[in-house]
Amino acid sequence: MASRRVALKAVDWLAFAERVPPNQRSMFNALKTRSDAISAKLASLPETPAAIDWSFYRSAVAKAGMVDEFEKKFKALQIPEPVDTQTSAINAQEAEANKSALAYVEASKARIAQYEEELTKFKNMIPFDQMTMDDLSDAFPETRLDKVKYPYWPHKPIADL
Amino acid sequence: MLSVGQLKTHHSFSVEFVISRCFAGFSRETSLRLCRRARRGRNKKQGARRSNNSASQPSVMLSRLIVVSVNSLKGCGPIGAGLVHASRSLHTSPQSLAPLPPLPEKGGKVRHGIFPEELFQLLYPKTGVTGPYMLGTGLILYMLSKEIYVINHETFAAASIGTAIIYGVKKFGPTVANLADKINEEKVAKAQEVKDVAISSLTQAIDDEKKEQWRVEGRSMLFDAKRNNVAMLLETNYRERLHMVTNEVKRRLDYQIALQNLHHRLEQEHMINWVEKNVISSITPQQEKESIAKCITDLKVLAKATQARAAA
Repeated sequence: MASRRVALKAVDWLAFAERVPPNQRSMFNALKTRSDAISAKLASLPETPAAIDWSFYRSAVAKAGMVDEFEKKFKALQIPEPVDTQTSAINAQEAEANKSALAYVEASKARIAQYEEELTKFKNMIPFDQMTMDDLSDAFPETRLDKVKYPYWPHKPIADL
Repeated sequence: MLSVGQLKTHHSFSVEFVISRCFAGFSRETSLRLCRRARRGRNKKQGARRSNNSASQPSVMLSRLIVVSVNSLKGCGPIGAGLVHASRSLHTSPQSLAPLPPLPEKGGKVRHGIFPEELFQLLYPKTGVTGPYMLGTGLILYMLSKEIYVINHETFAAASIGTAIIYGVKKFGPTVANLADKINEEKVAKAQEVKDVAISSLTQAIDDEKKEQWRVEGRSMLFDAKRNNVAMLLETNYRERLHMVTNEVKRRLDYQIALQNLHHRLEQEHMINWVEKNVISSITPQQEKESIAKCITDLKVLAKATQARAAA
């Protein structure tokens, strides 16, 4: 009977470990230990079982035809390969992860653009010793004094001084 | 006589002087500066910036300023009004929004704290170094002798207060100025710190985002690992099945062999027992007696032989 030879894609655990963010490290470790256990189990099993010595049995067993019958049936036996139920689920997960990753990357790019914009604003600010209070209020809008709400100096509640 | 140019600069000084003294709901902030240049205690000539502000104010304010400036400028009453108009005509165009050049570090130079240096420079070609002093002396003597300025109690009061003020400013001026500068420096330093922290945190955030994007790129490895796991499990399962089948078949064949052996053994033992039993039962009592007598005679012979051997 033919034994299945599945091409296992080599996973570079070191590079993988580098890319894991610190808050998911425990999950990564669990995955790694599981994978190692599975591959160890696989390695411990020989690929084909030991062959049955039919001639010995034929000579040893007195009952006529039994060994021949066994042999015939044994050789004709097809062991069904286990059905793969998870790969499609994994592929679906991967597609979904790709989608969410793209969305995240887009959002991240937008955030980066926003940060860059603020950074240029800060970098292009005139130095403080050449600013007026007007310029300061423009550069840092939170320092603007609300003259309408508090018409009298110091234009902010006393507790905020 | 003072020229228009003189008066213009004089006017800007006096307007500024007035602005800082008589505020009535007029925003201070737009005319104050963060830097030390704005905070020198004495209002020096400031130049373009101030006149911008005065030009942008509503005419009501300007008329008020005109009135007060007239009072502060002795003997310049009729000229003050014309002066205002002259300065206003310079600023009819709307304010340009270009960034203004920074203010000079120090204000206009003055002599004796009040008189601008430009006056002395103006009079120097014609009257030399002592010109303005002579002018001042002449003016004062003229006003005293013609009683344009009358000496009264107020004179003495003005003199005393003036002395006290000048003494105070000269003695404590630098200290106060340094203190004010320090306060301002602290403010600026705080603002600068805020700006620096903001810049550094923003760059840090950008780096972090880029790192996260790099991390995300490695997501395929996770799924490869998962698929590998699944494949390995399936392979393991398959091999286990193979092994199981082989072992089971072997076990059955071995069972048959063992069974056969067992049969053989049982038959053998049974036969042996049966043969033994029969043989024993076939020994008649007669035969038994004969065999016992024979055994005894044999023993006797043996005993004799050993005795003889022992004696020999």
